[in-house]
Amino acid sequence: MNHIVSIGTSHHVAPIEFRERLAFSEEQLIESFQHFRESDQVQEAVILSTCNRVEVYAVLNSVRTAEAVAKVLVEFLSRCHRIDMESLKKWTYLQHNVETIRHLFRVTSSLDSMVVGESQILGQVKDAYDTSRSAGSTGTILNRLFTKAFSVGKRIRSETTITTGAVSISYAAVELAKKIFNTLEGKTVAIIGAGEMSELTAKHLVANGVSNVIVANRTYERAVNVAQKFDGIPLAYDSDLNFLIDADIVISSTNAPDYLIKRQPLAKIMRKRKHRYMFLIDIAVPRDIEPDVNKLDHAFLYNIDDLEAVVASNLKDRQQEATRAEQIVSEETKRFYDQLQIFQVNPTIKALHQQFREIADTELQACFYKATLSDQQEEVIASMTQAIVKKLLHHPMQNLRCAVNDGDADHGQYVQALQELFALDVNDE
Amino acid sequence: MSLASQNARSMINFLFLVTLLIYLAAGIFQTLSLAIGNRSEASVIRPAIEQIAFWCTIIGFAFLSVFIALWWLQQGHFPMTHWTDSTAFFAWAITLVYLLIVRLTHLRTLGSFVMPVAFIAILISYSFATHTAALPEPLQNYWLLAHTTLIFLAYAAFIAAFGFGLMYLIAERKIRKKTDALFDNLLPSLGTSDELGYRCTILGVILLTMGVIVGSLWTQYIRDVPWRWLDAKVISTLVTWFIYVAQIGIRQFWGWHGRRAAYAAIIGFVAVLCTYVGVDLFLDSMHTYR
Repeated sequence: MNHIVSIGTSHHVAPIEFRERLAFSEEQLIESFQHFRESDQVQEAVILSTCNRVEVYAVLNSVRTAEAVAKVLVEFLSRCHRIDMESLKKWTYLQHNVETIRHLFRVTSSLDSMVVGESQILGQVKDAYDTSRSAGSTGTILNRLFTKAFSVGKRIRSETTITTGAVSISYAAVELAKKIFNTLEGKTVAIIGAGEMSELTAKHLVANGVSNVIVANRTYERAVNVAQKFDGIPLAYDSDLNFLIDADIVISSTNAPDYLIKRQPLAKIMRKRKHRYMFLIDIAVPRDIEPDVNKLDHAFLYNIDDLEAVVASNLKDRQQEATRAEQIVSEETKRFYDQLQIFQVNPTIKALHQQFREIADTELQACFYKATLSDQQEEVIASMTQAIVKKLLHHPMQNLRCAVNDGDADHGQYVQALQELFALDVNDE
Repeated sequence: MSLASQNARSMINFLFLVTLLIYLAAGIFQTLSLAIGNRSEASVIRPAIEQIAFWCTIIGFAFLSVFIALWWLQQGHFPMTHWTDSTAFFAWAITLVYLLIVRLTHLRTLGSFVMPVAFIAILISYSFATHTAALPEPLQNYWLLAHTTLIFLAYAAFIAAFGFGLMYLIAERKIRKKTDALFDNLLPSLGTSDELGYRCTILGVILLTMGVIVGSLWTQYIRDVPWRWLDAKVISTLVTWFIYVAQIGIRQFWGWHGRRAAYAAIIGFVAVLCTYVGVDLFLDSMHTYR
């Protein structure tokens, strides 16, 4: 029987120092595929190497015990990356059959990712699979497994909402802006003060269509420095906030001890900008914007706590959705494993049938040759032999199928026994 | 009444009942799809529900069109005399405008607000079904068709604007309250609701203006039916017209939009209802449906 296994490491079990040592370079990938093609034990293999995880999925042939499987793979990794066996055993996990299937399904559905629901992993697994396939190291089983994994990943993305909802403050700000403005095209964002968070938010806004950036700072030089990054307009301000007339989105993160933007002055500015919507994001502590600003018509104020609440609620939702996604993974894992069992048992059943039929046919021909029989007699004898073959095979086949369907772990041994006892030549293809 | 025409009548009634039920389904499914949102356990089936609602709307619209056509053939003139005629046509106009908006903007959510109105209109129509009232001979002409079609399409556009106004208010409330359920709504952005509501208002005003002009020209050709300028319906329509024109003007000159525009759309909706229903029920007018 074939053994589907995976060995690997991820951010869950190993620190970055170890992961980078295990990561595969281009050359190492080529060498490894070469090694697998020549190997007798490794029938198929896919290597997935990203910054958060390094995993090898393989189908091993004629390896019986779990220890033997571990030995083959650990030795391979140890040789390939020159890492001692001890640390490999400490920092990696090894999975067999059902566990491997479930693990891959979880990985492609981004349930195993650092941020549950992140969107990159599906593409990364696809790339890894394509590379392995074009290197000729995959076969029927891994082709089936990975194709299924991609469809499971897609199913979970469409049937659950683990991928929706911003899980960072800057993205939450972008999503909010999209809920307010009909389009971000042509809009202007004003950054007051400087800071990593406000720059990141502005960057996301620009990526989503915002056209103009105004950078206001108390010192002009600083404003120029930040403005360069966005092709924006630098501005020095003291108490005059009239530049806000052109600003649709305001991100404030100054060190000012008092409110910088107050309700009354802003009301005047809103009148001057003909009450077009203004979205104000206050990420400063202490706050820069008077909370009452949120009471002005067409002005919407979110401070850092509000944004964090949005993110927290989105994360909570993702967590809930992840539970549903795990159910889908379990369901699909079971289904795929059952199909795979049947798929793996079928060649043996076929071979056995064929062998019996061939023996019967040969003997029939010999019998017809010796005795002179009428057509009708020949027909009767032929159908009798067929019936004997069928009945002889009936119970063994039925029990074998039952063992497979019940998930009986022994069926692998049955298949092995059948193949050896009857000297079957089973071709997996 | 001959047997044949009785059969035809019962067939039309059956068709109408089916239409009514389809509209009920459309209204329920539309509201349900909005209520489910896209974040809950049930969100998996939401697209299916929305799809069902939309197809119900399309099929219901087709049935209603057939019903009005048959009713027209049977009466021998454009049916616009009795409440049953008028409300059925009202529902037809609402659905038509809604479907056009969906075609242009893909905003099916609007249906959750306008389809219940259409359903209520059909329900009223159905409860009066089989009633007919004679239409005075001199009024049976294309003037009637043009006049009423324009007015009802204008009403439908105003109801769409009302729907967008409600959508705006709900979405704004969610954004202001910073509720956890911030993104679980399927409502368009504030800017979109506002802009589309405004466009519907403009469309409505254009149609209503044309309807009124056609109506007043029509009076020049009527000799046999006495005409009064101080008709309750005429005055009420002019008030409605003024409410909407004022909205557009204030928006253009003072930049009133957003929440205020949404409230104005609701006030306009009330004015439309008063003009359409109120005048008939409480005041005397030559426009009265029997």
